[in-house]
Amino acid sequence: MGAPHTLTESRSWVDAILAAGVVPACYIPDASVGRTDLEEFTGADPVEDPELRVHSLAGARALAPAAVGFLDGIEQWRVAGYAGVTPIVRVYVAAAVRLRGADRRPRTVAEDAAELAITRLDRLPAAVREALQITGVRVVEISEEDAGQPARALPAVRIEVQKARAALERRLAEQRVTALGSDEWLVVDGVLSDSAALSAHSRALGIVKSHGAEYFAGVELERALTLPAGHRTSVFRPKRRGARREIYSWYLRLWPWEGNDLLYGLLRVEARAHPETVARASAISAWLTTERAPLSTPDRRWDRLLYPIHDVETYLRARAPRDLVLHPASRIPHPGSRLPRTGS
Amino acid sequence: MIERRDPAPPPVGRVVATEQKPATPHQFHFWTANETTIGIGAIVRVEQPGNGEGETGKVVWGVVTDGFAYSDLATPLHDVVGAEGDPARAAESPTVRQEIRLWTAAVLRQQPEEPLQPVPLGPVHVATDADVAQALRMDAYLGGAQPTAIPVGLYTSGGLEAPVYLDADFLLGPEAAHLNISGVSGLATKTSAVEFLLGSIFQHFPPHKGRIAAVCFNVKGPDLCFLDQPGALQDEDRRRYERLAIRAQPFESVRYYAPFKADGVNLNTLRTHPDLVGDVEPLVWGLREVLDYAEVVLNRDDIDAKADAFIDFLSDRVVDKEFEDGFGGAHRVVTFADLERLFRSIFDGLELGGGRGDTWRTHHIATIRKVRNRLSNISTRAKGLVTDDGPSNDLPWGRFEDRAVYVVDVANVDPLAQDLVFARVVSKLREHLERRDLGVDAVVVFVDELNKYAPADGPETYVKKMLLDISERGRYLGLVLFGAEQFRSQVHRRVVGNAGTMVFGRMDSDELATPGYQVLSPATKIKLATLPIGELMVRHPHFTQPIFVRFPRPAVLRGRDGVERFPPAADLPFEDAVVRQLVKLDRRVRPNLVKDLIADRREEDVRRALAHTRQTRPQDAFAHFRKQLGGRVAAAPAAARESVAPLNPIADEPY
Repeated sequence: MGAPHTLTESRSWVDAILAAGVVPACYIPDASVGRTDLEEFTGADPVEDPELRVHSLAGARALAPAAVGFLDGIEQWRVAGYAGVTPIVRVYVAAAVRLRGADRRPRTVAEDAAELAITRLDRLPAAVREALQITGVRVVEISEEDAGQPARALPAVRIEVQKARAALERRLAEQRVTALGSDEWLVVDGVLSDSAALSAHSRALGIVKSHGAEYFAGVELERALTLPAGHRTSVFRPKRRGARREIYSWYLRLWPWEGNDLLYGLLRVEARAHPETVARASAISAWLTTERAPLSTPDRRWDRLLYPIHDVETYLRARAPRDLVLHPASRIPHPGSRLPRTGS
Repeated sequence: MIERRDPAPPPVGRVVATEQKPATPHQFHFWTANETTIGIGAIVRVEQPGNGEGETGKVVWGVVTDGFAYSDLATPLHDVVGAEGDPARAAESPTVRQEIRLWTAAVLRQQPEEPLQPVPLGPVHVATDADVAQALRMDAYLGGAQPTAIPVGLYTSGGLEAPVYLDADFLLGPEAAHLNISGVSGLATKTSAVEFLLGSIFQHFPPHKGRIAAVCFNVKGPDLCFLDQPGALQDEDRRRYERLAIRAQPFESVRYYAPFKADGVNLNTLRTHPDLVGDVEPLVWGLREVLDYAEVVLNRDDIDAKADAFIDFLSDRVVDKEFEDGFGGAHRVVTFADLERLFRSIFDGLELGGGRGDTWRTHHIATIRKVRNRLSNISTRAKGLVTDDGPSNDLPWGRFEDRAVYVVDVANVDPLAQDLVFARVVSKLREHLERRDLGVDAVVVFVDELNKYAPADGPETYVKKMLLDISERGRYLGLVLFGAEQFRSQVHRRVVGNAGTMVFGRMDSDELATPGYQVLSPATKIKLATLPIGELMVRHPHFTQPIFVRFPRPAVLRGRDGVERFPPAADLPFEDAVVRQLVKLDRRVRPNLVKDLIADRREEDVRRALAHTRQTRPQDAFAHFRKQLGGRVAAAPAAARESVAPLNPIADEPY
């Protein structure tokens, strides 16, 4: 356990490429919106009911695991410099599992972090390539087409960053799930179905806050999106897409959406594709409903963000390199802005 | 004295600094785990190691003055929302919010002291014994060729217990001096603390500073009446004594002084149990002792310049001198009775003088009458202390013993007499210390109820002026004031301001709201308001911040316990009281002989003879007493009263 001293490492390779002639830059993108689900219609198969129905959680006995590990990750990146118009991006990704036991206080039991450079090597001068190689930083390349156009390069970088983060999270989760205690659960922020180990484990849950993927249409879609607070939908099986494993899933509404938005307080839960999951769906849902408190404010996603997940994120951000985020007390112009700041 | 603990214990916190709460050279903030031994008053050490390239490290010691706890809750409303308005559900949330224990500490010392810089953002450790000594700058007087450390108590925090010492040079002079102790009554703090500290001073007073004694005025109940008797101690107290290297024992040498009651033979004190009363000396003063301090007992609004002049005249020209009254009478005024005879002679002389006017030696008869009235009033109000006739009995001026406590019990006497005793004793101490012939080099004077003797407002009394004088100049003489009061704000500012060492027991909240306590943080005030028995807050010139210490209960019998164990004897009949005093002087005295001797004798004659015997302390007390008493005088018929000529004859008519 324990993250490497990324700050020292980053300074060394960034300094090296700047010394090799890279023009220094400072572009920090807007905060990550986190890993989003696929934004497409995929469809789903009914599991619990012949069609998607609404189940009340009133009277459901909440599952009360003795210990729960919560896993989340963060990504931070900034353009460190340009070689010509090719960006060289410094990326920091980290993930952690914080275990909540009988004292209800989360404590870190596993964490990992990585720093990498994203660029297109063949577009860099030899001296810069050599500098990167000497410092030993892991380099991830974007496609040649993306590298040639700055407007496409940064979105491409963002995708690579998300992949790096997801890979780190998955690795940590798979390590953790093998060491799970007999009455210990693992709750992952995001989908389970991209990991064979996770999607097959009986005490692993995925909590999905973004709802880009659409599994239903028509009346079923309306039932899912107008789910009352304290209710869940029937368990369904999302249709397989790409490398994703078979999984069971259902929607759960934490807070009343009326007066807000259809997605307000709406979670999608993923769990092992197994009859036991169907049997425990209400108990799991009732448990997750208790996780509404404490609120994870001031995060704007507090209606869907479970506090323990928020806690992991806070922990990771507190340990991230300081120079990758803009200090709130900073008075220098926002590096992401193309215009100088005026006034106060 | 200082024990160094194992090096490098794990840190308990870490200094944090933000733009809103920066670290400064005088204050810093640090966080700890939620479960921590750190609390208000804890001493901590911050370390910044050197870089090994010539830059030396830095060590900062601080004392915790405030504490904060908060969670990541953005607004209280969010807690309400999360619990859906039900407080019971708030405790059921599956996860406990992240919390912080954030502490504010005031810097006690930095090492190196120059350049003075903000506190480094380093790890925070609990202080060890050695740290406490360094932090409080006690290292300056704990070691060396002539250490001057006086244990005052134990600093305790987080299982650590470190002795705290005062510097004798700053407690007892000459660098600074005086101690003031405040605290609410009834918690056995003020008196107990002074008793403990006096014991500590007597055992640790540096030899190179000479001899020391204490004069304690017992102004209420039996508080100081049993300083020579051992009190009940618990194991914890003994352990603390041992830690402070103080022997847990009562004072070895205590002298008690108390005036008589109005009957002139029974002592006016609660230490009258037969087993103890033997070492209580009567405090009896005569005309000379009172006249020198007439200013104390005479009402300034009442006594004008003319009366002052007449009193001076009496003091300079009459008392203890052969004096002719101008009417043919010769006087030697030694006692109040002699003075009364002189006054009568003057009045008679003026009345019989036949038109010689209404002045005597330039003093108007009204002034003379006024002074006579006031002086006779003293002997009435302070009866028992002031004797109309007979010799006085006083403290052993010039023969004070080293490490002796002189308790002057004035608890049950008239306030006027209290003032007189207080003023005279302190003035005499000052006189003798100035002449260096008291017998000791320094005297601690303990005065309780300081707000009564040196109030912040009220008239400028002689006693107040004298206390101010001690406070401001006593340290050069070795005259050290240990004052105690319930409310420090009600004591004259210069009296408390000149006290180099301040001690605070549990304080009243209203008192803590007064301006004198503005320098204390709210948390420190709360701690002061809830301080348990046996814990004190100490301010001392070497300590840049107040420090909390615990002290063991004094090894002497508490007043209340003493009265239970040694209940005061009932007042004896006159004859028995005389017998007891004579037996005290000479065990061979046979009571029946004394009773036969004094039967049918005037009580004032008996008192005079007894006082003379007491003062002389002859080998054969009874023989001396009998001689002083003289033979019985047979009653004689009253002489015919002389006719008095009218001062202003109205007519020459011969009838």
